Amino acid sequence: MRLNMKFREIFRYELAYQGRRPWPWLFMMVMVVFAFCATRIAIIPVTLPQDFILNSPFIITAVTVFSCQIWLLLAPAIAGEAAGRDVQTGMYPLLFTTPVGKAAYIVGRLLAALALNALILLGVQIGSLLAVYGPGANPDIVGPFRPMAYLAAYGFIGLSNALVATTFQFSATLFSGRPMASYLGSLILFFLSYPVTLTLYTSGLHEGALLADPIGIMAIMNEMMSNWTIVEKNVRMFTLEGAMLWNRLLWIGIALGTLSFIYLRFRFAHRTATYWLSWVTRWFTIKAPIASGTLSVGTLPVPYAPQTFGFTTNLRQTITMARSSFHLIATSPGGLFLLVAFPLLLTFMVLEGMQHWGVSLLPRTPYLLTKHLTGVLTSPSNYWVMVPLLIIYFSGELVWQERDARMSSNVDATPVPEWALLLGKLTGLGLVLAALMVIITIVGLTVQVIKGYHHVELLRYMQVLLGFKLVDYLLFATLAITIQAVVNQKYVGQLVALVVYMLMVFSSFIGIEHHLLVYASGPEWSLTDMRGFGQSVWPWLWFRLYWVAWAILLAVGARLLWVRGNDADLGRRLKTARLRYTRATAGVAVFAGGLVLLLGGFIFYNTNVLHEYVIDGEVTQRRADYERLYGKYEGIPQPTRVATNLNVDIYPKQRTATIQGSYRLVNRSAVPINAIHLEPAFYVKTRLSFDRQTRVVVADDKLGHFIYALDKPLRPGDSLTLSFEVKFESRGFRNDGLRSSGAGQGIVENGTYLTGEALPVIGYQPMRELWSAEDRRKYGLLRQVTLPPPGDIDPGVSAGAAATVNAIISTDGDETAVAPGALRRTWSKAGRRYFQYGSDVPINGRDVFFSANYAVHREQWTSPSVAGRAVDIQVYVHPGHKEHLERLLRSVRAALTYYSAQFGPYPYSFMQLVEQPGNFMGMGVDGSGVITGGEGFFQLDPQGNGFDAIFEIVAHEMGHQWWGVQLKPALAEGGGVISESLAWYSAMQLVKQVKGREALRRFMRIMREPEPWPPMRTGLPLLRAMDPWANYRKGPYAMYALSEYIGEARVNGALRTLITKKVSSLATTLDLYRELQTVTPDSLKPLLHDLFEVNATWSFDTRQATAKQTADDSWQVTFDVEAHKVVTDSAGVDSPKPVNQWVEIGVFAPARPGEQLGKPLYIQKHFIHSGKQKITVTLAQKPARGGIDPYNLLDWEEGDNIEEITL
Amino acid sequence: MELQIRNVSKTYTKGRGGEVQALKNVTLTIPNGMYGLLGPNGAGKSTLMRILATLQEPDEGSVHLGNIDVVNQPEQVRQTLGYLPQEFGVYPKARAEELLDHFAILKGFSQRKSRREVVGALLQKVNLWDVRHQKLGGYSGGMRQRFGVAVALLGNPKLLIVDEPTAGLDPAERVRFLNLLSELGENSVVILSTHIVEDVSELCTRMAIINKGEILHEAEPLEAMNALHGRIWQKVIAKNELAQLEREHTIISTKLLGGRTVVHVYSEETPAMFDPVQPDLEDVYFSVMADHMMAGRVADSQGGQQNDQQANEA
Repeated sequence: MRLNMKFREIFRYELAYQGRRPWPWLFMMVMVVFAFCATRIAIIPVTLPQDFILNSPFIITAVTVFSCQIWLLLAPAIAGEAAGRDVQTGMYPLLFTTPVGKAAYIVGRLLAALALNALILLGVQIGSLLAVYGPGANPDIVGPFRPMAYLAAYGFIGLSNALVATTFQFSATLFSGRPMASYLGSLILFFLSYPVTLTLYTSGLHEGALLADPIGIMAIMNEMMSNWTIVEKNVRMFTLEGAMLWNRLLWIGIALGTLSFIYLRFRFAHRTATYWLSWVTRWFTIKAPIASGTLSVGTLPVPYAPQTFGFTTNLRQTITMARSSFHLIATSPGGLFLLVAFPLLLTFMVLEGMQHWGVSLLPRTPYLLTKHLTGVLTSPSNYWVMVPLLIIYFSGELVWQERDARMSSNVDATPVPEWALLLGKLTGLGLVLAALMVIITIVGLTVQVIKGYHHVELLRYMQVLLGFKLVDYLLFATLAITIQAVVNQKYVGQLVALVVYMLMVFSSFIGIEHHLLVYASGPEWSLTDMRGFGQSVWPWLWFRLYWVAWAILLAVGARLLWVRGNDADLGRRLKTARLRYTRATAGVAVFAGGLVLLLGGFIFYNTNVLHEYVIDGEVTQRRADYERLYGKYEGIPQPTRVATNLNVDIYPKQRTATIQGSYRLVNRSAVPINAIHLEPAFYVKTRLSFDRQTRVVVADDKLGHFIYALDKPLRPGDSLTLSFEVKFESRGFRNDGLRSSGAGQGIVENGTYLTGEALPVIGYQPMRELWSAEDRRKYGLLRQVTLPPPGDIDPGVSAGAAATVNAIISTDGDETAVAPGALRRTWSKAGRRYFQYGSDVPINGRDVFFSANYAVHREQWTSPSVAGRAVDIQVYVHPGHKEHLERLLRSVRAALTYYSAQFGPYPYSFMQLVEQPGNFMGMGVDGSGVITGGEGFFQLDPQGNGFDAIFEIVAHEMGHQWWGVQLKPALAEGGGVISESLAWYSAMQLVKQVKGREALRRFMRIMREPEPWPPMRTGLPLLRAMDPWANYRKGPYAMYALSEYIGEARVNGALRTLITKKVSSLATTLDLYRELQTVTPDSLKPLLHDLFEVNATWSFDTRQATAKQTADDSWQVTFDVEAHKVVTDSAGVDSPKPVNQWVEIGVFAPARPGEQLGKPLYIQKHFIHSGKQKITVTLAQKPARGGIDPYNLLDWEEGDNIEEITL
Repeated sequence: MELQIRNVSKTYTKGRGGEVQALKNVTLTIPNGMYGLLGPNGAGKSTLMRILATLQEPDEGSVHLGNIDVVNQPEQVRQTLGYLPQEFGVYPKARAEELLDHFAILKGFSQRKSRREVVGALLQKVNLWDVRHQKLGGYSGGMRQRFGVAVALLGNPKLLIVDEPTAGLDPAERVRFLNLLSELGENSVVILSTHIVEDVSELCTRMAIINKGEILHEAEPLEAMNALHGRIWQKVIAKNELAQLEREHTIISTKLLGGRTVVHVYSEETPAMFDPVQPDLEDVYFSVMADHMMAGRVADSQGGQQNDQQANEA
């Protein structure tokens, strides 16, 4: 009873005490604002479906879980105060000697902190409600009010996180006796919840990732994002189940366990100032007894030593402050985390991450540096977010160093100028960061050595880490220290710094996009093997110099307002500031201000005068205007391009290029054409002329639409020639750097990449319209159906016609230039090299042009079936990236042979594979006969006869030469099935054909990885598929299953027919389905229906497999199998269906080394019905294992289909 | 060098609109040598000391050290300032020698070799030489205080401010400490604030008594004691007689001695049944305080309740 009273009093007092402080309310306000913005502006980084509802349970849940992550960083002070204030203030002797029990004390304080945090997190739901029901919300996207959705989010996510995090923060503080330890506890939870979880997830350890996340972001977002349909996202309530339930149980368990440990360890005892690592270090130090020595008085005279008070002394003072600051941080738990634990974890994470699709990656230095060892300060997308967060934390510790140790009076009374204190602390923090950069270099080198990569590029590391990155971090450190110095309240300082950092990160969401306005931002540098830094250093440098000038101004402000002595009210500080504003200070301020103006002006000249500066909002406006003004021209008869002639001159050193060319345009329509609509690209200068009389009717430079009236209409069948000159000019830099447009485009030495998008296009381009439902609503445009169902496509819609091409491309003498087509001729003239490429067979897709110092490989492929048909195979790669050229070529040759035989001859005379400058991993098809892969792709490093992703990916891209290039999908639902599914299906067949079933099984295992596309049982059926899982996984599985049921030849024959039928029009899944129906016998039509028309999921399970020898050469095997089929509708409702169909039963011999399955001894289809049943087969050899659907034709989850056979 | 304090006032704003005047129009001239600032707790001593140590600014008035304007030229003062705060902490993880060296650099000792010598000599002087490699977190209160003295003594300051240095020291430590202070040359202004009368009487050539922000008395201890000669009387009484005695005499102090009460009274004539005593500094202090209290009582009866409350808060 009395215990209860004491507990209540401790709880009440703590609540009242902190409730009177400003920070709990500030934290709550920040949560309200954050949740409001997150809901309204949908900061949540998800591609929301078009029909989302602002107050759907999904949004409420997502906002809550993201807000929890912000809260974690924001509010550790609550628990820190509750647990650590008594020791910090030295009041503990009074409290610990009262008869209050340890239990009442700890539980009372913890619950008070928990209550406060629960209150702060209530702010999330308030903000969320305000965003929906407050002024300015769009009523169209507000659904019915569901109080349960808010309660569920608050209870299951908010409160459970409050419990987990508060307990950790509290324990950390109780353990160390320092309130700030709670920040560190929080940072570690954050580190687990974001970077670590993300890394685990992307390296394939999914279950581990879902459990490792103390906040539950991954468990929630993964479950809801990928497994819920659009309908579910809008209506389904969030409850604790599955991974999330286990996650919560685990973390609440860990939290309570930690607390119990700390509770047992905690004593109401004197806190001696022990070093937190003393339990380690005490084994190594010999403690001398403390001699108090009070007896004798030292009488030695103190010798004279000169004191000097000049600038040199001040520098020395700065250095000594820097040293002690560095020491303070580097030996603190946070410092050791940053400098020791983090790099160790990083090494592990990088090693773990150096693979793609189960294939190891070559750890090339530019890739390591850009992908793993650096992060962009203002767009924290991986573990590097820890550095700015720790800088905020360290800044507080440093600025408050003397005051926390109650030594500020002693220090403040010494003749040290404020700037030396400030600069010393900043330098100390800078030294910590520099040390981190050196350690990261060692991490990179270690990874390279472990991976057996011995090409050491130490200079690159130094340039990137001690150059680029350190500057950014120093800029941020200056800001953080300035904030702490000016705010002069530690927790509020942390809060302000964090909010400022969030503003920097989310600036574009609140409409601030110009890098001149966002501190420490600017275009990023880039580094690749081919391009080096290219020209990216210069814009980076100008922006950073500009921000350095600002940082100097900040530092001057910090110095003026630096608190010294006991007068801390603002009036006094301002008065003191006037006193400190000496001529030297004024000089520095004027100098820095001048630099800001000068550099700012120079940057502005580049970004806004030399280039048009268009913000996102304006782009949206223009796209809306474009549709409103010119949308009426969509689909009107326009001449078709049938031939392209190009003269491309690239000057990599000058960063300029000129394209002179002409289109031959034919009127393929049935009516005369009076006017031609032309759209030149925005980022080049284009001059146009026709070979007949025209008049300019519309010349809209801003929206990019030109109309030329023809004096004499172009009659059906007639043609004309359009000539043009396109100039790429080198004009300074833009807000986003040097790139003129598109990903990786640019003209630089050893890395020029241009696309035909720079050339004028004909006719209105519906692709340029706004597509986001929210934007369309805002600009009053008609609502657009995302994609029409395949049945809505007019079967007569013609495919964008292909054109013949003839291109002469020239570049500097030391580079090789590439344009689409067979290479016809090369020559040199006046120090430049010329290449002529061309194709007499009309080609389509976009034209791409390259210039770099390529290693060139050329060979001829001759068709075994069509006599005289030869293909000019050209491979262009960076000379240092030739490791796996043979694997690539093997796939190209095999694909040409097999696909030509199965799906119809390869129609073009050339096949180009070009390495595209830039670190991206992917490979893609640009058009007929052109496949490009990023520099990242050439890092794939398959070993020996193991899984060879290069072969499979190239096989897929080669497949696109039939599916997507020859057979073109209509812009409709199921379009991805026509291109992606068929390309993967082709690759599967090729792998089986060339490398056998065993290799196919290995390949399928990689395909089945839930990353990047976890399986979805809901969603639209294949015929109307839109999601990537259906396009890239389910489609190929279904096609492959069909080929195993009705025969590969039949399926491939149907596909071949499809190509010939749709040679001049666009295809939909219905066309495909029609051909497949034709070749499917009636007995298998239900299967075809299940695969394409509905979402059917089969699950087969071999429960038991036994065998007995019946004769010398006869074995009888019995399987207990279970079969189920479920059909799921788009709202996620499952209905079980009877199985009743033929399913393979397979028995295998023991696996030989390197095999996953042994040699098949028996593969036969058996008629299977729903539920449990026994299957018995007899064979002539001793079996090792077997089961139902062994090749996962219908049950796409590997695992329980095959079992070991017990004898 | 002389420290001139002219009309210094300082008021603290407290919560709920209240104000406390910590210093009222303080004017003092302090020459070289030891100067004692004596006053009870809350008298305003530490505020005055912080103002002299450049850590606070007065609302009004000026302070000059020689030609240096202490308020407006803090950086010049700090070059020759030694300050031992009433209360201070240490970095618990730092070692004495290394932290003192750090302070020496902050104080402008830029030559490494000579700085080392100074640090070593000071550590010996304050008798921390043997424990110079130990962490300050393990030091006793007296050792910490001595470390603070070492910091304050760095660079032979012309102005040395020691704020209640002996509070909390055991008798032996206190003796050591006073010995240390007494060694300081006559070329510096040394201000010692304390509420312990013996500190002043043992060390200081001049002193001031401060209470409730006002300087009540400024004198040389010897002179002040002489001035009281023949006016302090003592009587040993039982506890219950005190109230009676209080009505009849001006009692300046009472002290317990073996269970009985020793009363000192101020009287210009010889009171009956009292013995004369040789006045010491404590008598000076208490008579000044008693004098002031009586003046205060008169003021209270005129000025009403408000003053009283303020005094209590102070």
